[in-house]
Amino acid sequence: MKEKGGFRKLPAWLFWSLASIVLWGTWGLVSKVASAGMDAYANQLLYTVGLAPLMIFVAWSVHKENAGDRRDTRATGIFWAFFTGILGGVGNLAFFQALVVGGKASVVAPVTALFPMVTVLLALIVLKERLGRVQWAGLTLAFVAIYLLSA
Amino acid sequence: MHAWLAFAILALTLWGVTGVTQKLSTNRISSERSFLWFCWAMVALSASVLLVAHPHWELGTVVVLCSIAGGALNGLGAWTSFRALESGGKASIVISLISLYPLLTVILAVLLLGERLTWMQSAGACTAITAAILLSLEGEPKKAA
Repeated sequence: MKEKGGFRKLPAWLFWSLASIVLWGTWGLVSKVASAGMDAYANQLLYTVGLAPLMIFVAWSVHKENAGDRRDTRATGIFWAFFTGILGGVGNLAFFQALVVGGKASVVAPVTALFPMVTVLLALIVLKERLGRVQWAGLTLAFVAIYLLSA
Repeated sequence: MHAWLAFAILALTLWGVTGVTQKLSTNRISSERSFLWFCWAMVALSASVLLVAHPHWELGTVVVLCSIAGGALNGLGAWTSFRALESGGKASIVISLISLYPLLTVILAVLLLGERLTWMQSAGACTAITAAILLSLEGEPKKAA
């Protein structure tokens, strides 16, 4: 696809993916800077303050569109979303604490980015899903990475 | 085991479980509503922390701004990742690509914070990012019986 100026237009999905890399990649850095001057609890509190504007925007969008979720499954869906938030928040506290006790951002970020290994393991053990060779390779590399990073 | 590693493994474990619980949620409600209730849980958790943990509030301006920015950056990152998936990107490609984000953290931490990695840690960071990409790829389709 060409724009008026003749430049090749970046596909929307690629633009948003690159934006995610920049936003999450920078989060690791600012979290380390913040952890140098505050404990994990204060960091989590202020983190939530930073999340608030986006939360208000999303709440407005949900209210405006009145998303047509099925009423019979909505309560269960909300329960799992809320539970996800609690797990995510406690995970944040552990992440901040890892930085507070001296973990380098350049080491802690790659270790915590391995969280899909737990999802894959749960899918294997609890949901009895079968893994492809690529995911087995990923799982093996994840353990190797933790060993190397902890050295 | 180093203390930082124990906390990092706890974080990755809890975040890993959210991969399943998030799916259980978005199977039933929209991703926007799911995200909203995810945020409400963060508010509830923060309120509990405020009541129970008594955090220290002798803070410098820079660290406060960095912490608030952290929440905004992480939330916006989640939002842009949803947009990437909704914009027609294949999940296997989008998620694998986004898995590269720790690489940026490593680069920024080395350049801006002056962090230095050992040879083993550098190899570990590269291996971790490769592992995260491989884990994000969809499983091989089963052959028809």
